[in-house]
Amino acid sequence: MAGELEGSKPLSGLLSGLAQETFHGHQGITEELLRSQLYPEVSLEEFRPFLAKMRGILKSIASADMDFNQLEAFLTAQTKKQGGITCDQAAVISKFWKSHKTKIRESLMNQSRWDSGLRGLSWRVDGKSQSRHSAHIHTPVAIMELEIGKSGQESEFLCLEFDEVKVNQLLKELSEVEESISTLMQPA
Amino acid sequence: MNKPWIRQRSEITGQTAAPKLERELVDFQWKLGMAVSSDSCRSLKYPYVSVLLKVADPSGQVKNKSFEMTIPQFQNFYRQFKEIAAVIETV
Repeated sequence: MAGELEGSKPLSGLLSGLAQETFHGHQGITEELLRSQLYPEVSLEEFRPFLAKMRGILKSIASADMDFNQLEAFLTAQTKKQGGITCDQAAVISKFWKSHKTKIRESLMNQSRWDSGLRGLSWRVDGKSQSRHSAHIHTPVAIMELEIGKSGQESEFLCLEFDEVKVNQLLKELSEVEESISTLMQPA
Repeated sequence: MNKPWIRQRSEITGQTAAPKLERELVDFQWKLGMAVSSDSCRSLKYPYVSVLLKVADPSGQVKNKSFEMTIPQFQNFYRQFKEIAAVIETV
């Protein structure tokens, strides 16, 4: 029933399901699951092209990382198309993108990162120690534990030791990175 | 009578058998990149910091470890390192 598909209430749920499957890597969200949960009155033959259309629209919006002006223009064009979407549906899609944009973008960024990412960082500083029997004084040492890992893989823990000299050396390198970032981020 | 001890003992030795290796940072290389586009997203446009660490374990063997950070992650990393520097100075 075309009328069932035009309703906007289940569309929000459908878009959530599509986002989970397409961007957030959630397995097991099948066509049949979406249909039976959200559009039980609609046949699979009718549902399939509708789902494909919505998936296509969501992918286009995410791929272009549309801002709100681009989104409005794009959705308006979709409402004017033959076999496009209704104004109600456009409103639901717009609302969905506005509230899920950040999360979807984050997933897309993660999908395109193939090197390990930094998952965690912790550190401690061990103080000076002296021994009655030994003249050697242990100088302070910083111990840093980095948790790194590739998408979907177990973490690797890297434990690094730095004395004060090394800490300052690394700090200098990091400030150079920071400077580079500032230069990059400056408005053209 | 022996069984629970054997089970416990292997748990304990299992924990102490692989101590965390503290490594020395021999070299730190970095790159600031900008991801422009990908097959799943035509308009990625996000900057990232790519890091290559050369680390030496106590035996002297040097290994390369690389990873990426987003800009907010890098800024947190930098901030934490500044804290380390401040603390180590006062110790």
